[in-house]
Amino acid sequence: MKVHVDQHRCMGSGNCVDIASRVFSQREDDGISEVRPGDVPADAYEDVRQAAAVCPVLAIKILEDDTR
Amino acid sequence: MTSSSGEPLIWPFKRTDPLDPPPEYASLRADSPAVDVCLWNGDDAVLLTKFDDIRLAFQSPNFSADTTKPGFPFVNATAEASKKGQKAMMTRLDPPRHNEHRRMLMKYFTPKTIESHRPFVRELVEQLLIRVDTSDRAVDIVSELAFEMPVRLIFSILGMQMSESDFFLGRIQVAFSTEVTPQESAGAHHDIIEYCERLIVEREAAPGDDLISELVINQLQPGHLSREELQYMLLMILMGGIDTSANMTSLGVLTFLRNPDQLDLLRKDPSLVPGAIEELLRFLSIVHFTAMRLSTGETEFSTRTVPAGQRIIAPLGAANRDPDAFPNPDKFDITRSARSHLGFGSGVHQCLGQAMARMELQELFAELFRRFPKMELAVPEEDLVFHDSLVYALESLPVFLHGKSIEGER
Repeated sequence: MKVHVDQHRCMGSGNCVDIASRVFSQREDDGISEVRPGDVPADAYEDVRQAAAVCPVLAIKILEDDTR
Repeated sequence: MTSSSGEPLIWPFKRTDPLDPPPEYASLRADSPAVDVCLWNGDDAVLLTKFDDIRLAFQSPNFSADTTKPGFPFVNATAEASKKGQKAMMTRLDPPRHNEHRRMLMKYFTPKTIESHRPFVRELVEQLLIRVDTSDRAVDIVSELAFEMPVRLIFSILGMQMSESDFFLGRIQVAFSTEVTPQESAGAHHDIIEYCERLIVEREAAPGDDLISELVINQLQPGHLSREELQYMLLMILMGGIDTSANMTSLGVLTFLRNPDQLDLLRKDPSLVPGAIEELLRFLSIVHFTAMRLSTGETEFSTRTVPAGQRIIAPLGAANRDPDAFPNPDKFDITRSARSHLGFGSGVHQCLGQAMARMELQELFAELFRRFPKMELAVPEEDLVFHDSLVYALESLPVFLHGKSIEGER
């Protein structure tokens, strides 16, 4: 799975971190979301999908979803 | 659109059960999910009742939250008097200025930052529960618990004195009310803004390590925020962070007392607490009157296209009871997957304090019923008084923490 956060759209709601903190983090200075470096663990795929679905500004794009 | 009697539909509708949204939302959703309604002043508006449509109204850039725009809808004259003046407040700003304001505040409300306040809240909840623990009298959940928790947390983050909380809470109640006169509402807002100005002046003279001091130093002094904008930012934090959590607590306790099967589940399995809080947020949808927008471009909803310049009513409670989004939506079910609810709204204005609300409610509900499993209402349910404030409110909730049986044995 490959996932991307549009940091221009991000409003720092923190939903993605609340749901999938292994994959997303928020910058300390302004709360903008970032994808943590490295591969998305397979057992976090479902959480990433949920994070993308509930993002209030639709800033999370799943670019490749290998097991869906 | 008219009702069966031929009269125009006038929004808002009345609740028939205190914990459910007005029944009209369900019947309209089935027949006419984007319907013309009439507001208090005779203005027309489109009322949305489907989850997908309501979420679209929040997420699409075609809808303005700017209450100073001509024709912006309000729930009544009192709400108009209080909200129209909020020209500098983030919740009423559109992008791009909104986004600049929000980015100044986001780091204070991320799940990670809020997690750092959890030990404070855990200790606070324990102290509050020890303080009210008695079987000698009925305890009022609203005044003795529900407000105490968020007030103490917010005051601590903002570096404010608890000795001023009574004055402040009194003014907030009036500012949120839709039942006072427009003059009283505007007066309460004026008092809160004056109070916020005093907080700013104090920190300009002697900055501390609180959130207000940081905003003064990092945003006000370099000119990123005007003085008025900072006043309204503080008003927003104070008004947004207290009544909301307080009424979620009191109405949430009542919801569990009314659903003893769900309370049993919660007590037997504390791992259900986070999901139970999401379900409470969905089920109660207490921010029931502020979901208004003015369209600035043509938008296609599921059943009709809405042009620019149209007033839109998008009730969170209607979205959260849509059976297409939540099967059997009127059932309070803490085991359901409710995380996608719109209790915090959606789009750029989605609640800034949602991580804080989740954390506070998780801590309180995890401990309250563990400590007081036999809690019972101390008055007949019909005697409870609910207020249609901008945030739905319960006036008081008297309970016997150890149950009535102990009361009877004394």
